[in-house]
Amino acid sequence: MQSGRYLGLGLFAVALCALLAVPYFVTSSFAIDILIRILLFAFIGVAWNLMGGYAKQLSLGHAAYFGLGAYTSTLLQVDHGISPWIGMIAGGVVAMIASLPIGWLCFRLRGPYFTIATIATAQVLMLIFLKFRDFAWGAEGTTIPNLGNAPWMMQFEEKSAYFYVILGLLVIALGVTYWLERSWVGYYLMAIGEDEDAAEAIGVDAPRMKRYIYATSAFLTALAGTFYTQYIYFIDPATAFSFNISIEAALVSIVGGIGTLWGPVIGTVLLETTSALLQSWLGSSTGGIQLTVYSLILMAVILWRPTGIMGFVNELREGRSGKKTGGS
Amino acid sequence: MGDALIVQNLSKRFGGLKAVQDVGFSVRENETVALLGPNGAGKTTSFNLITGFQKPDTGSVVAFGREIAGLRPHVVCSHGVARTFQVAKPFGAMTVLSNVMTGAFLHHKGMAAARQKAIEAIEFVGLGSRQSMAARDLTTIDQRRLEMARALATEPRLLLLDEVMAGLNPSEIDQAVALVKKLASRGLTIVIVEHVMRAIMAVADRMVVLDHGQKIAEGSPKDVVANPDVIRAYLGSAHAEVAPGVVS
Amino acid sequence: MVTTLVQAVINGLLIGGIYALVSIGVTLIFGVVKIVNFAQGEFVMIGMYITYFLSNQFGIDPLFSLLVSMPVLFVTGMLIQHFLIRRVLGENDMPQIFLTFALSLLLMNVTLLLFTANYRTVHTWYSDESIFFAGLSIPVAKLIAFTVAMCLSGILWLFLHRTDLGKAMRAASQNREVAMLMGINPNWVFAVALGIALALAGAAGSLLMPFYPAYPMAGQVFVLMAFVAVVLGTLGNVVGAFVASLMMGVAESLGIQFVGADSGLIVVFMLLLLTLAFRPSGLGARRS
Repeated sequence: MQSGRYLGLGLFAVALCALLAVPYFVTSSFAIDILIRILLFAFIGVAWNLMGGYAKQLSLGHAAYFGLGAYTSTLLQVDHGISPWIGMIAGGVVAMIASLPIGWLCFRLRGPYFTIATIATAQVLMLIFLKFRDFAWGAEGTTIPNLGNAPWMMQFEEKSAYFYVILGLLVIALGVTYWLERSWVGYYLMAIGEDEDAAEAIGVDAPRMKRYIYATSAFLTALAGTFYTQYIYFIDPATAFSFNISIEAALVSIVGGIGTLWGPVIGTVLLETTSALLQSWLGSSTGGIQLTVYSLILMAVILWRPTGIMGFVNELREGRSGKKTGGS
Repeated sequence: MGDALIVQNLSKRFGGLKAVQDVGFSVRENETVALLGPNGAGKTTSFNLITGFQKPDTGSVVAFGREIAGLRPHVVCSHGVARTFQVAKPFGAMTVLSNVMTGAFLHHKGMAAARQKAIEAIEFVGLGSRQSMAARDLTTIDQRRLEMARALATEPRLLLLDEVMAGLNPSEIDQAVALVKKLASRGLTIVIVEHVMRAIMAVADRMVVLDHGQKIAEGSPKDVVANPDVIRAYLGSAHAEVAPGVVS
Repeated sequence: MVTTLVQAVINGLLIGGIYALVSIGVTLIFGVVKIVNFAQGEFVMIGMYITYFLSNQFGIDPLFSLLVSMPVLFVTGMLIQHFLIRRVLGENDMPQIFLTFALSLLLMNVTLLLFTANYRTVHTWYSDESIFFAGLSIPVAKLIAFTVAMCLSGILWLFLHRTDLGKAMRAASQNREVAMLMGINPNWVFAVALGIALALAGAAGSLLMPFYPAYPMAGQVFVLMAFVAVVLGTLGNVVGAFVASLMMGVAESLGIQFVGADSGLIVVFMLLLLTLAFRPSGLGARRS
C-alpha cells in the first residue's frame, strides 16, 4: 500500500516537471493555447468534481460562479484599478458568499430537480448581467485595457506565463482534492453522495458539509473566471455565464471518472483534443459538431461505463490484483 | 442504573393518518427492549421520531438525561443514539472498511485512529474477511452486519435495530441473535423492532407493543405474549375469519 | 385598462395550453418512470420540424401533420425507453440525469448540423387571422392550438382514469412494487408513458408552427416552462402540471405586458425560485 502511494506521488512529480518544461519545447502559439484550454477546463472540472463527483450534488449551474469571479475582478480592475490577483481572490469570496443563498434554495430539491434549479440560477444571473448596464456594461460587456507586460495586473507578453498561472491553479485544486480524498472530509462527502440519510444517521452533518463543499467549489470556479477574462482580455454575460462552461465542467468529470482525483484531467484531455482535432479537420464553421461529438461520448460513457475512464482503470487494477476478499 | 431512554407523549400525524399517538415507554441502561406490533403499528415511525428523521408533533424523548426530540439525526447520533435501517442503506460504492470508518470519524477524526476503530467494529460483527469488498457486493445478511458495524463505530450507548432479521434463514437468525446478545453483553442499551418471535424471545428483557400508533402493552415477554389485547392485535383478522359475522 | 388585463390573461392562457402539453409529458414520465426527461423540449422541436417539412414539401396543414408527428414521436418514445432509459434505471441519479441531458444536447446539435440555425416558419391561411370580440383580439392560430391542447389533455385524463392501461400507469406511478405484484409489466408501462409524453410534445410542436418559428434551440424555452410548471404543480401530478402551466402562461404574459417585453422569463424564474424557497413540494396535493 505504502509503495503504491509513493509511486503515485513520484509519477506526479515527474509529470509536473515535464509540464513545467513544456513551454520551452512547445513554441507554437496555437499549441500553447490548446494546452492552456486543457489546463483551464481541467481546473474547472476538478472544482466541479469536489461537489459533483464526491458528494454527488450534480450542478449544471457552475457558470454562475465562473461569471461572478470574472465580473468581480474585472469591475475592481477597470473601475478601481485594483490588481486582478486581488480581484481573483475577491471574486472567489463573492462566489463563496453567493453559493450560500443559491445553495439554500437549490438544496431544497433533490436529484434532477436540484440540477434544474442550478441551471435556473445561472440563467438568472446571466439575465441580470445582460439587463443591467449601469453597473456592469450590460450585453456588450467590456474589454480589459491592454497594459502590455504587466505581471502585477495579471497581463503577460509571453503566453507561457498564462500557462504557468493556470498550471499552478490546477495543482492547487488537485491538492485540495488529494487532501480531501485522504481525510474524513472526503469520506463524509462520499457518504452523502451515496446515501444522505444513512450518512446523517452516523453523525454526518449533511447540510453543513454540502454548504462547505459548494462554497469551496464555487471559490475555485470563480478563480477560473478571473483567469479566463485576463487571458482573452474581454468579458460579457454570454461568455462569462455560458451554459457551455457548466456543461463542460460536469462532462469532463463524468467522462474522465466522476469522483476520482485524475478523472477531470483525463476527461479534459480527451474531450479538448477531440475538439481540437475536429476543428482542424472540419474547420470551426460547422456549428454543433463539437457538442454533437461531446454528447455522443457522454451517452457512450453513461451507457457502458458510468464510472468513466478512471473507473474503468480502477476496475482493471482490482481485477489484476485478484478479487479483494482477503484482509488489507 | 439510570434510564437510557424515556419516551413520553410521542405523537405524529401525516395528513389524516395518526401514525404515532401518545406513545410512551422507558428503557433502562443495558436493557434490551423489543418494540413489537403488526405492520403499520408505528414502530419505524417511532424510530424516526427518536432519531431525528422526523419531528414529533408532541412529546419528549430523553436519552441519557438529554432531551433529543426534534434534533437533527447527526446531532442525535453524537449524543450516543445510533440506528440501523429496515432496508439496509450501505454506501454501495465504498468498501466495507470505508463504510465503517465513516462512522468511526464521529469520534476519531484522524485516519489511523478511525481505521483501527472501524476494524474493531468489523471484527465484532464478523465481517473481517470481507473488509475490502465493495458494500454493494455484500449478501443481505452481511449488509445487515455492515449496518450494525457502522452504527457501532459511532460508539453509541443506545442502539436502535430495525428488523435486522427480516428475510434471514434460520441459521442466519441464530447468528443475528448471538450478535445482539454480544452487543448487550458489552453494555449497550438496545431497542429492537422485530417480527421473528423466537429471536425476540431470546434477546428481549422487556417488550413494548404498539398497534395503530398506540401502545397497547408493556412488560416481560411472558406477560406480553399472553396479553389478550396483543393477541387480538396480531390475530384479530384471523379471529374475524374464524367466526364471520361476529363483530370483534 | 381592464381590456388590456383581460387581453394579457387570454394571451397567457392560450400559450399556457401549449406549455401544458409539454409539462404533462414531463410530469407523467417523472411520476411513472421516475426520471426527469431533460430532452422533452427537443421533442417539441422535432415535432416542429416534422410539421415544417410536411407543410413545405407536401403542403400539409399543421393540424393534419399531427397525425404524423404524434405517432412518430410515440414510437420514438417507446424506442428510447427500450434502448436507452431501461439501461439506466436503478438507484443512481447521475446516469439518469445525464443520459437525457446528453440526448437533449445531441438532438439540438444534430439538428443544428443538418438544418442550420435558420428559422423555419409555416404560414397558413389562419396564421395572421384574429377574432375580434369585445375589444379583445384572439389570434386564430393560437386559439386552435389551445383548443387542440385542451382536447388532448382531456383525452389523456380519460385514458389515465378510465382505461386499464391508464390505471396501471397511475398504479405504477404511486407504488411500483405493488403494481408489479399485480402483474403489471413495468417496462411496458414505462414505454407507453414515454410514448405518450413524447407524442404530446410532438403535438405541441406541430400546433406551434403556424405562429412560432422552428429552430434547433426552440425547445429550450418550452422545457424550462415545463420544468417550472412540474415543480409548481407537484412532481408527478398531471392535473397540477396542467393547472400550473396555464398559470405560468398567464404570469409570463402579465410580465411581458406590465413589466417589459423581455421580462417574461424573469417572471417565470422568480416564480420558480419563490416556490423553491417557500413550498418546494409544489402547490399540488402533498404526496407522502
